[in-house]
Amino acid sequence: MMIDALPLAVTLPLIGAFAVTVSPLHARGLGLMAAVLTAASALSVTAAVWSDGVLRADLGGWGVPLGIALEADGLSAAFLAMANVVALAVSVYAGGYFKQESARHFWPLWLLLWSALNGLFLAADLFNLYVTLELLGISAAALGALTGTREAVAANLRYLLVGLLGSMSYLLGVALIYAAYGVLDIGLVAEAIEPGPVAWTAMTLMIGGLILKAALFPMHFWLPPAHANAPAPVSAALSALVVKAAFYLALRLWLDVFAPVLNEAAANLLGILGAAAVVWGSWRALRAERLKLLAAYSTVAQMGYLFIAFPLLAATPPGLARDNLLAAVVLLALTHGFAKAGFFLAAGMVQKTAGHDRIDDLGGAAQALPAATFAIGLAGVALIGLPPSGTFLAKWVMLEQAMILGLWWWLIVMMVGTLLAAAYIFRVLSRAFNREPTPYRFVNDARTELPALLLGLIATFGLGIAAQPLWVLLEQGAFG
Amino acid sequence: MIRPLEHIIIPIGLIAVGGLLGWSFFLAVTGDTGERLAAVALARVPDSGVSNPVTSVLLNFRAYDTLLEFAVLLAALLGIWSLGAADTGFQPAASVLDGMVAGFVPLLILSAGYMLWVGAYAPGGAFQAGALLGSAGVMLALAGHRNAGLPSEGRLRILVALGVFVCAMTGLLLMVAGDGFLTYPPGLAKWLILLIETAATLAIGATLAAAYLGGRPTAHPTSGETT
Repeated sequence: MMIDALPLAVTLPLIGAFAVTVSPLHARGLGLMAAVLTAASALSVTAAVWSDGVLRADLGGWGVPLGIALEADGLSAAFLAMANVVALAVSVYAGGYFKQESARHFWPLWLLLWSALNGLFLAADLFNLYVTLELLGISAAALGALTGTREAVAANLRYLLVGLLGSMSYLLGVALIYAAYGVLDIGLVAEAIEPGPVAWTAMTLMIGGLILKAALFPMHFWLPPAHANAPAPVSAALSALVVKAAFYLALRLWLDVFAPVLNEAAANLLGILGAAAVVWGSWRALRAERLKLLAAYSTVAQMGYLFIAFPLLAATPPGLARDNLLAAVVLLALTHGFAKAGFFLAAGMVQKTAGHDRIDDLGGAAQALPAATFAIGLAGVALIGLPPSGTFLAKWVMLEQAMILGLWWWLIVMMVGTLLAAAYIFRVLSRAFNREPTPYRFVNDARTELPALLLGLIATFGLGIAAQPLWVLLEQGAFG
Repeated sequence: MIRPLEHIIIPIGLIAVGGLLGWSFFLAVTGDTGERLAAVALARVPDSGVSNPVTSVLLNFRAYDTLLEFAVLLAALLGIWSLGAADTGFQPAASVLDGMVAGFVPLLILSAGYMLWVGAYAPGGAFQAGALLGSAGVMLALAGHRNAGLPSEGRLRILVALGVFVCAMTGLLLMVAGDGFLTYPPGLAKWLILLIETAATLAIGATLAAAYLGGRPTAHPTSGETT
């Protein structure tokens, strides 16, 4: 008997989705069970990569090029671990958040989305990645519309169409690569690819489709309404995980597939768009009237930082400095995943208690929920990039590298973004300390507040103080 | 009146993008490459348990893709269901349409069974068979049968998720048995493919018909089950 954790991490949520589809009355119990098992299998993948190095599974036993392989290296293992911890916290929160009728719809779609995420992080085949993108896009848009309001349905229909356009563009690029080189496995494509019009067009199509899905400025127009109108646990998953998956794939293609055909112009273009996203997203977050809209615009800005890394990576020669830079980018993405999920979960709690999420009127409601407010504060520390959060460390490495390279303009953008982030976070926190006597209890609803608090703690303390393991994990096949 | 943006700039831009794509595609197919995947796949078809190359790719070489595609279909239907209940449907048909439907639906079901079986060695298979079943459901819905001839909600839920379940369980059980995920043992391949395709045919047919209804099945007992 042999158990391979790689396919298990994708199939367990599928079996779970079947179970909750078939018995909607027990959706919560079965869903939570599937969530625990899925997270356990995915974390065991990360643990195995940590101890044994890169894992690979040839599904169907055919081997490449004929069959499909799953592969986990340090980069996939890091994202996989973050996604599954966040997804588990979201599941616990959702267990208390969704009642009867909405729970029936939430759980199957949520487990399908989770399966798509794990499949995407583990895939080693360009066409298989397209299928995971489709599953991810459809289940994400359906989940986002679960509140059933007109705004939510309209925003998520737009999200679905934008997502389809992105997947189609990606698929067109894959078709071009397959026509030219006759293979789909990432490793084999990387060996075969040569600079030329075919590779450049394919790269433009694929990365272009993915930055549409990752909501990089100016293709971010769909994100704020879709994320702000979704139910809180779904907003958390969309902002922390789904856009992050598109970024992961763009980074993976950039590093592993298109490395031989890259040029600095493309990297600079991504960086400029990222810089615009940082400034514009932070500014809109500062001006937002609603807490969830603020969080959604902050996601636009945080995705921008991740894309500023592309020109820095392109300008840094291979070696220790480049490895550190890559690890910093991954650390930034992971910290944002934890922080933004914690922020949205806590914001959902505040919204549920207050009955609205208008920032200017939040005073009393936020103060009555110390744990939720504390979680927002912790997540805020990580979003701004104050020490000891992972963001602080990551931004420090990126700033240092930008200075060494003499690319000072990225430095200015990141400083401006950080100041604006501090402004919009303190704008929220200042509303929490102005009214009402001291509350009676710190935790009011353990089921929904503790997951948010835990995610905030991981983002601020876990990833900041204990970032060293990430470097060790990324040594498994991601540096080079 | 000519609006420069709509009548000149956008069309020229689209033509330029199309030309660029066509040019790169031309370069891609005429370029010098090594062994193409299609040749490798064709050479291995005899080992796949079926002789139709399309089926051997979909259900054996790249069966994992197909598993996720079943999940995509399920996600699409669950998304439709989450948006609300189905409309009450069409009025019952008059005798001519009703008679035609009564004749066509059994034929479609029969053809679906044939398509499923023939997929092993000729064009056909689960997706085509499922499409025929789905069209039978659409016909019933158009002729005024509530729920397009689909069973009650409890059974319908099993039916639409069956493709994902059977395919994933087959994969997992083969892995537990020591063969590896979705790695069919020689000799059993044909039968396992048939098992997965049968489940997938039912799931695809039910999903397409249910998607056509455009909403969650209504709570009332079905009136369209008898044809």
